[in-house]
Amino acid sequence: MSWALSRCLCRVLSRQSPPSSFLLAEHHRAVQSLWFAPMRTLKISTPLRAEPKKKKKVDPRREQMLKERMRKKLRKLEKVAPELIPIEDLITPAKFLDETRERSAPRLSFEDSEGRALLLKEWCRYKQEQHMAEVQAVELALEAQREALDELKLESEELYQAALKPDPLMFPFTHKGPVYTPPKSKYEAPDGKYNDITKVYTQ
Amino acid sequence: MTAVGSAGFRHLSSTSVCRVTLQTKSGTEKPSSPWTLMAAVCLQRLPVISADCSPIEQQFRQMMQRMELEKSLLSDHELRLLEDSERISRKQADDYDSDEEENRGDQEIVLAQDLEDSWEQKLQKFQPGLRVNVCVKSSRHSGEGVRARSVPADAPLSCLADADEDLTSLERCLADPLVLVAEQQVGGDKLWLLPQTRWQEGETLRQTAERALASLPAAGLKATFLGNAPCGVYKYKLPKAARTESAVGTKVFFFKAILSDGGAPAAPSASLLWAKKSELQRYLKPAYMMKVERFVLAL
Repeated sequence: MSWALSRCLCRVLSRQSPPSSFLLAEHHRAVQSLWFAPMRTLKISTPLRAEPKKKKKVDPRREQMLKERMRKKLRKLEKVAPELIPIEDLITPAKFLDETRERSAPRLSFEDSEGRALLLKEWCRYKQEQHMAEVQAVELALEAQREALDELKLESEELYQAALKPDPLMFPFTHKGPVYTPPKSKYEAPDGKYNDITKVYTQ
Repeated sequence: MTAVGSAGFRHLSSTSVCRVTLQTKSGTEKPSSPWTLMAAVCLQRLPVISADCSPIEQQFRQMMQRMELEKSLLSDHELRLLEDSERISRKQADDYDSDEEENRGDQEIVLAQDLEDSWEQKLQKFQPGLRVNVCVKSSRHSGEGVRARSVPADAPLSCLADADEDLTSLERCLADPLVLVAEQQVGGDKLWLLPQTRWQEGETLRQTAERALASLPAAGLKATFLGNAPCGVYKYKLPKAARTESAVGTKVFFFKAILSDGGAPAAPSASLLWAKKSELQRYLKPAYMMKVERFVLAL
């Protein structure tokens, strides 16, 4: 019922004349009243037909674009690779390029140079023998260990597994190597003050 | 073809047997192996001083020093020496610049040569430790060719003895690595061997080796054991008369350890020795020695 009513109302409203003629009629009456009777109130309706204000969407976008460009430039500048820390050992200090420092090289006699060459060859042979002996000794030791582990495996599995586990307490392991003269018992080393002037670089 | 087939069959059968034995081992009833387990410790004192150079090493070292000197530049100290000598020669000659001398007159002229002399004197005053302990040679029974069954006559002598000859001292042969050898009762005999003890239930073999080290009469031997794995094994079967079902022989597993500093010097006892690898032969039995010398590195 209500739906039929509303549809009737719609049809009625649509059959009405277009609003412009309606307004014109009103205007006509208003103009008539202006000329003939003093105006009491100036009725100015809100401008309904003016062009809508331009929101200037481009401005915030432009600002954003500018900001992004600035940020990109900053990032490019920061991307420069960090300066490498100089290795001081590899840089020859300038004072050693002085010519006055050169030592006069002595002339070697023929026998001397021959003797040196032969000694170098002998040394080469000696070192090679030493190296082969070391390698063999290490291989023997490894062989002995492998044998021991095989025997242990035949004995008991759990002992074998326990033997294979790495020892976490062993490292760090330090041992002071051989020195030229043995340490003196009850030796009082003199106190020494030193200033550490090593250069520390930060990247 | 048939030969290959039969070999393959044999191979398969052996692996199946292995699997069977493993399964029985992991089962609740563990058949005790007929071998007695023992763990021994190979305690080494690493060299304290560097070894002497062999002749070729000495020659090479001298040659290298000369070559390096020839190829080097003059150092600051050498330049100073040259300048000083030049200045002295100029002063001694009659034509010298009085201006230069006046400029330096108020400064104390310390010649580089004087510095060298003072350094030399300081070095003379310092007495470094002796590389070789000087001695009075002792007359002693050397024990060569004697099977290590009886107690050797290497008893510790008074402090005048050659420290290198005193086998019980830890200060001997500072340039070589030394191995600890102990005299222990094995079966019915007293034998010289690396300190060992029997394995007990509930401990790993490494703990057994540590116990072996701790049970020695020498107290205060602090050692760092190198890892959990044994480095060698020696197995021997008991003589046929003593063999039973459950005791066929013994397997001795060796563990390596390094003597660490800080232990107080123990009182020398007759049953402990520190021996070089070349001297081990005197004390250890040949078959035992063959197994031990493989992992004792003396390069």
